[in-house]
Amino acid sequence: MRPQLISELEALLGPKAVLSAPEDLMLYEYDGSVELGSPRCVVFPASAQDVAGIARLANRRETPIVGRGAGTGLSGGAIARSGGIVVAFSRMNRILEIDAANLRAVVQPGVVNLDLSRAVEHLGLYFAPDPSSQKSCTIGGNVSENSGGPHTLAYGVTSNHVTGLELVLPDGEMVRIGGKSIETSGYDLCGLLVGSEGTLALVTEITVRLMRKPEAVKTLLAVYETLDDTTESVVEITVRAITPAACEMLDGFTLRAVEDYVHAGFPKDCAAVLLIEVEGLIEAVEAQAAEISEVCRQHRAREVRAARNDQERNLLWRGRKEAFGAMGRISPMYYVQDGVIPRTRLPETLRRIEEISRKYDLQIGNIFHAGDGNLHPLILFDERDREQFARVVAAGGEIMRHCVEVGGALTGEHGIGMEKNELMPLIFTPDDLALMERVRAAFNPAGRLNPGKVLPMGKACGEIRVPPMPASATIPT
Amino acid sequence: MSRPAPVSFTRLEEIAGGAYVVTDAAEISAREVCGARPAAVVCPTDAAQIAEILRFAAAEKLAVIPTGGCTKLGIGSPPARYDIALDLSRMNRVLAYDPQDLTLGVEPGVRIEDLLRTLAEKKQFLPLAVPFLDRATIGGIVAANSSSPLRHAYGAVRDFCLGMEFVTGEGAQAKSGGRVVKNVTGYDLHKLLIGSLGTLAVITRLNFRTFPMPQAQGSFVASFSLAEAAFDFCRAISHSVLTPQMVEIANPGTAALLFSGEISTRIEPRTWTVIVSAAGQPAVVDRHERELGRLAGAADAEEFFPLEAAEADSAFVQIREFPRLMIERVPAAAIFRISAVPGAMAALQGKLRVLAAQRELDFVSLARASGILYAAFLPQRDLSETHQALPGTIAEVFQVCRQSEIPASAMLEWCPTEIKTSPDVVWGTQRADFELMRRVKHSFDPQNILAPGRFAGGI
Repeated sequence: MRPQLISELEALLGPKAVLSAPEDLMLYEYDGSVELGSPRCVVFPASAQDVAGIARLANRRETPIVGRGAGTGLSGGAIARSGGIVVAFSRMNRILEIDAANLRAVVQPGVVNLDLSRAVEHLGLYFAPDPSSQKSCTIGGNVSENSGGPHTLAYGVTSNHVTGLELVLPDGEMVRIGGKSIETSGYDLCGLLVGSEGTLALVTEITVRLMRKPEAVKTLLAVYETLDDTTESVVEITVRAITPAACEMLDGFTLRAVEDYVHAGFPKDCAAVLLIEVEGLIEAVEAQAAEISEVCRQHRAREVRAARNDQERNLLWRGRKEAFGAMGRISPMYYVQDGVIPRTRLPETLRRIEEISRKYDLQIGNIFHAGDGNLHPLILFDERDREQFARVVAAGGEIMRHCVEVGGALTGEHGIGMEKNELMPLIFTPDDLALMERVRAAFNPAGRLNPGKVLPMGKACGEIRVPPMPASATIPT
Repeated sequence: MSRPAPVSFTRLEEIAGGAYVVTDAAEISAREVCGARPAAVVCPTDAAQIAEILRFAAAEKLAVIPTGGCTKLGIGSPPARYDIALDLSRMNRVLAYDPQDLTLGVEPGVRIEDLLRTLAEKKQFLPLAVPFLDRATIGGIVAANSSSPLRHAYGAVRDFCLGMEFVTGEGAQAKSGGRVVKNVTGYDLHKLLIGSLGTLAVITRLNFRTFPMPQAQGSFVASFSLAEAAFDFCRAISHSVLTPQMVEIANPGTAALLFSGEISTRIEPRTWTVIVSAAGQPAVVDRHERELGRLAGAADAEEFFPLEAAEADSAFVQIREFPRLMIERVPAAAIFRISAVPGAMAALQGKLRVLAAQRELDFVSLARASGILYAAFLPQRDLSETHQALPGTIAEVFQVCRQSEIPASAMLEWCPTEIKTSPDVVWGTQRADFELMRRVKHSFDPQNILAPGRFAGGI
């Protein structure tokens, strides 16, 4: 313990803005992942100047700093792996400007994702990235992780929607990159910073694009008797170059858990469903919905129905977005994967996951962004059973390896964090990683900003780390 | 002007093969960059050769500039040194095209026109309607981040490039991103290479998502006597539910240049001309025609009419080739590429027009409603004082952009070499983030051998 650090932070921010009692810190030991780590203290800056002051202090005291939004991240990005100061952005939660004429908003990092969309709803606008945790996750967290969501199929992930950032570098220097305009001359530093998982700088202000709400939305539910028919439908939709706004798949096992919880009207006796949304002009929506229905029926969907009104539509989406929470009702714990594969490899990949499930004698639910090949297998387990947990980690690793083998990636939207950093060598060569390290050092030379994330630390490469003890059941995200 | 260093051709010949190290005067002069000429042109065939060449260059402190179709070597500030032109035209293979997955992997030397033809066979495309389309290579387009009118609907390279492979200034082969459409594995280093003018790394592979060709298309012209009315019309479009593919606003001078009689006898080149195109199902195109007509009427358009297919194609080509047509017509032109929010565009171009008028320079502009303004300042051929007025005007343009209520980001994309007396002429004065860019440059190219001096802040 270094109480000097705490008293200096209290002098800087006021005593109420610093937590250091063990019982307070417990709340900040985990996020939405299965990882754990204890900070020395948690601080709550109110301004960019506060953040710069914290960074200068941490720099002087050679203490790690880790940024944190709502703590809903799924790869341990917000966990103080090496102790130090957690900078929680919950007080920096103001929407600074809504520039409807130019379709921009300027926000502090602690603004909750859905709150921004709600604040601009009356203008007919919204913020497109819509992670399942959007009711609680922050835009600062979205920037860190380059978050996605169901509708990123049509509209892109967070990096496609950020035009400017205000940064605090680890030495406390403040720099603005980008702005409101769609591009800024020079290297695309915003493109680098978004998705850098808090390892390059702390973000204190974000300029985002707002989008105009579409004229019409149609949500379809296609119900299948086999997984193969479901995945083949997704492939066919891609091949026909129909671009729905979202194309989500839930398997029968997941559906039953969801339906018991949400009562959205999902059939409980099927192998899988697709939840497909088309948006745009009325004319485009009607034509696309008709074509998608035809594809689904050709692939033996036993039923294709459209939500009749907003209430039905919202219920279907609630079922999708709260599915992880529903899993909590039937299993003490789950481990969510986030692999990506080329979309045409979906059928064989789902079959492979079934094999892995049998091989390791584990229950795996599948609920994911089928349209862009972003899988979320949920491996259920009981954290009191250490032997079972070892099988969970091995099964997760096998799913990851399959994704890489078919030309995919380790993570589509959850980030590398401290969960998969030792898996990075599956994708990247030592030269690739050395360059990434050098770029990190260009911003974060002492490595004190979010240490132990993204890039591998040790020589024991290629393994998912088995956490010492998984966190207790996570909040639905 | 760079002084050619004594290049050891033997080593380059060992790496690339004797036939692929060229010192022929015509080849050398074709790869001139702002008056600087290389001592040799080397034509590697793969990433391994490039890595060896760059390791050699780093050891010998030789400056290297990658080239493709040589259409955009005039962009950027003059290189501080230039010894080897790395001609990537032999690396022109499509490495992977999976039309069913709508993904593509290509080498940098593929000519965009050939690539678009390959994609068209599968009824797909890349939204890169860029100038010099007949000669430009995909690597050059990405390295210069060429502007495409289709950005309005499809985004820019940063939005649809999935990953890249490249060789750093130390000769290390590296990559970032991947081949799948959604991916947050590791830092997005490839985004840094977009628009980097070859200053960070030599691109050896690019992966993209491809797009399906729309079923139907329609292009519409609305003309206005006043600039404000034209910009009002565009604002109304952006506040509507319409989903156009492109919205381009030509000032009267640009309209006269682009839409002379051969293109369409119906476009009146003396007015502010807005060209909008829509695509999708035929019903979607029809809907656009109806609603655009209504919005044009509400904005006091003098005329609104759809173009015939052939007219639309020609008009599209002219819009695409705007900077090229401009510099062919007026080689002494100074053409800015300015990124501004839509709401600031009308006022900004008004201020620039005044600037030009004060110096007796002609002014033409083409605005993309997506947020890019091409602003060209044209000296009058017989008036030498208008040529002398250019440097002062250029500095003022950067000032106007910075001081705009919502700052715009300007870059002088094209101008005569003799005006480029310092990097600031092209990139504007130093910004706080240039220091971060310098650090990024150093991590990719610590020996500073890749196109040194060509980039912002003298990078």
